[in-house]
Amino acid sequence: MAQAPGKTTLTGWLFKGPALTLLAFFMVYPILSSLWMSLQVGKGMNFSFGGFANMWRLTQDAVFQQALLNTLTLLVVQVPIMISLALLMAVALNDPSLKGRALFRTAIFLPCVTSLVAYSVLFKSMFAFDGVVNRFLEALHIVDQPIPWLSDAFWAKTLIILAITWRWTGYNMIFFLAALQNIEPSIYEAARIDGIPRWAQFQKITLPALIPVVLFTTVTSTIGTLQLFDEVNTITPLGGPSNSTLTLSLYIYQLSFKFMPSFGYAATVSYVIVLLVMILSFIQFVVARERRRP
Amino acid sequence: MKLNVLNRRSVLGAALAGFSFLSATVAYSATTITIWCWDKEFNGATMKEAGARYAKAHPDVTLNIVDFAKPDMEQKLQAQLASGTTDGLPDIVLIEDYGAQKYLQSFTKDFEPLSDTKAIDYKNFAPYKVALSTVAGKTYSLPFDSGDSGLFYRSDYLAQAGYKAEDLNNITWDKLIEIGKAVEAKTGHKMLDLDLNDDGIFRIMLQSAGGWFFTPDGKSDITSPAFKAALTQYAKLMQSGIYKPVSGWADYTGGFTSGEIASTVTGVWIVGTIKSKPDQSGKWAIAPTPRLDGVKGAVNASNLGGSSWYVLSSAKNKAPAIDFLAQIWGKDKDFYQKILIGQGAFGTFLPAREGDAFKASDAFFGGEPVWLNFSNWLAQIPPVNFGTFTNEADAAVDAQIAGLAKGGSVDDAIKAIDAQLKQQMQ
Repeated sequence: MAQAPGKTTLTGWLFKGPALTLLAFFMVYPILSSLWMSLQVGKGMNFSFGGFANMWRLTQDAVFQQALLNTLTLLVVQVPIMISLALLMAVALNDPSLKGRALFRTAIFLPCVTSLVAYSVLFKSMFAFDGVVNRFLEALHIVDQPIPWLSDAFWAKTLIILAITWRWTGYNMIFFLAALQNIEPSIYEAARIDGIPRWAQFQKITLPALIPVVLFTTVTSTIGTLQLFDEVNTITPLGGPSNSTLTLSLYIYQLSFKFMPSFGYAATVSYVIVLLVMILSFIQFVVARERRRP
Repeated sequence: MKLNVLNRRSVLGAALAGFSFLSATVAYSATTITIWCWDKEFNGATMKEAGARYAKAHPDVTLNIVDFAKPDMEQKLQAQLASGTTDGLPDIVLIEDYGAQKYLQSFTKDFEPLSDTKAIDYKNFAPYKVALSTVAGKTYSLPFDSGDSGLFYRSDYLAQAGYKAEDLNNITWDKLIEIGKAVEAKTGHKMLDLDLNDDGIFRIMLQSAGGWFFTPDGKSDITSPAFKAALTQYAKLMQSGIYKPVSGWADYTGGFTSGEIASTVTGVWIVGTIKSKPDQSGKWAIAPTPRLDGVKGAVNASNLGGSSWYVLSSAKNKAPAIDFLAQIWGKDKDFYQKILIGQGAFGTFLPAREGDAFKASDAFFGGEPVWLNFSNWLAQIPPVNFGTFTNEADAAVDAQIAGLAKGGSVDDAIKAIDAQLKQQMQ
């Protein structure tokens, strides 16, 4: 016997109530409050309404533009490399004839359970001017001068990319592995009998089945890289040589906690990140939808 | 029966006596003053010494000295003050002079105006130290040390390379580069270790020429001739190759305490760190800060750092903290002698200057009257007004360092620093 629709709705809302209240307090209110704060100007706690002053300041701020460029560069270089690597590793590890698959899987995933600060500190000491990595490279005669990882703009960015890739490839690989397990092995058998080469199998069978997962990992990796903070703050806390590893999040941190605090402007920069995330996620969804249509 | 009554009464009496004794002890409970500072060998050690002296007259007071890395402590302090929560804040905090005005102007209500308590006689402290912690006529600090700078070098390495103490007296930076190359050639030791993300040496150069990032009324002063001369010299130093690049405080101090690096140019507060290796006693010496060539009025003296103690308004043990500061740091001349020798803490408490330690020779530094030298150099330091935007100025200079090290144009760097600083100062 169906209840009157009004009563069901009320019960439904009562169940959702506590969760929604918490969400409102801890998510919606801070988001709206920071939007209001991005319209304020002033040093420290002396706020005054500034309207679009902070947005105008964004266009004049060379450091912000550098941070934006750095963040986008890291995004464009690091995310495709990491996703491709994760995909290749997943396909390799999905092969039942490979010995020691469980060991490889664990080894590649292990970086993901390390603390962000702990591994950043280790990377910083490993890549120091006279650190382990340089000594290793010199011993193998790959380089004849130690690489200035922490004092050169290009190498500092490379170091950050290496660090992030090491940390997150395993995480994405697990998603791909799970999706690969869902593909019927009989399809591959049929393809093999028909004489289709391995690469074509990968292109025509594996990839299309993985599109949703690739979309998911690319979007989450994009969001993660856009918000990159822990690694850059530990390895290059001052923004790196010539601000080369200054990301947007690190700049926000400097504006709020290192310089004379400009909380309003910092909130504005954080909304730039929100905007970027929205745009890039939208683009990626559209592209995925196009590819899914045969 | 008589025995029973006696026993009961005596037991009762003993119990009452014990109880009142216990409650008296509870009332007389220990006070713990929490202090934040950043150098276990230097300011932390001076606080420990001060605590030990104060405990003689006040045995119930103990100090809880928390040691941080300086940038971590500054960011933690700023984050907490900005958030408005006072839970977990210390009673006394050490703040470097460069940032004093920033904290005092941004968070005035959070600091206790010590001048109001009348417990400290500010006439006994160097006027420049009192001025930099004064806002609207109220002084907030117990002035601590000056960052009087010098060239600290391993006399044994320099002797190996053929240099005596006179050869390092009142030299220019160009001469230092020349010496550095010779030292590396003859002993294999690099002359300096530099953190390319830290413009400390640049600040020493700038102040030695009487310049600063800001004019006395707080406007950006990047385009002054002193600034250009300092930046040009700094670029030259970085292209000279006489240094080992390091990253971070531990790396930097590890360089010269391990004996790998031959010298460093920094404030007198490094003495605590240098003296932490007693087996190197007699192998170190101190020369005046190198001078900028080609700038009128440049001297062989400068300042790097310097800090003062502040009491937070939210302090749980405010009165004992203020009394502690006033009694030891504000009055005890003997204390200042001890921390001078032990940690190189060059206090700005003027009556302490008459003490013996300030005139004594130090065997660690080759038996020279180093403290007398530092006193003389202190008098020569060109006074500047640090302003409130030192962190922003540092960031602007740091951003250009790598480019300059590669041989970039000094004029372009100056334009970039000026633009960035003006932008950040709004």
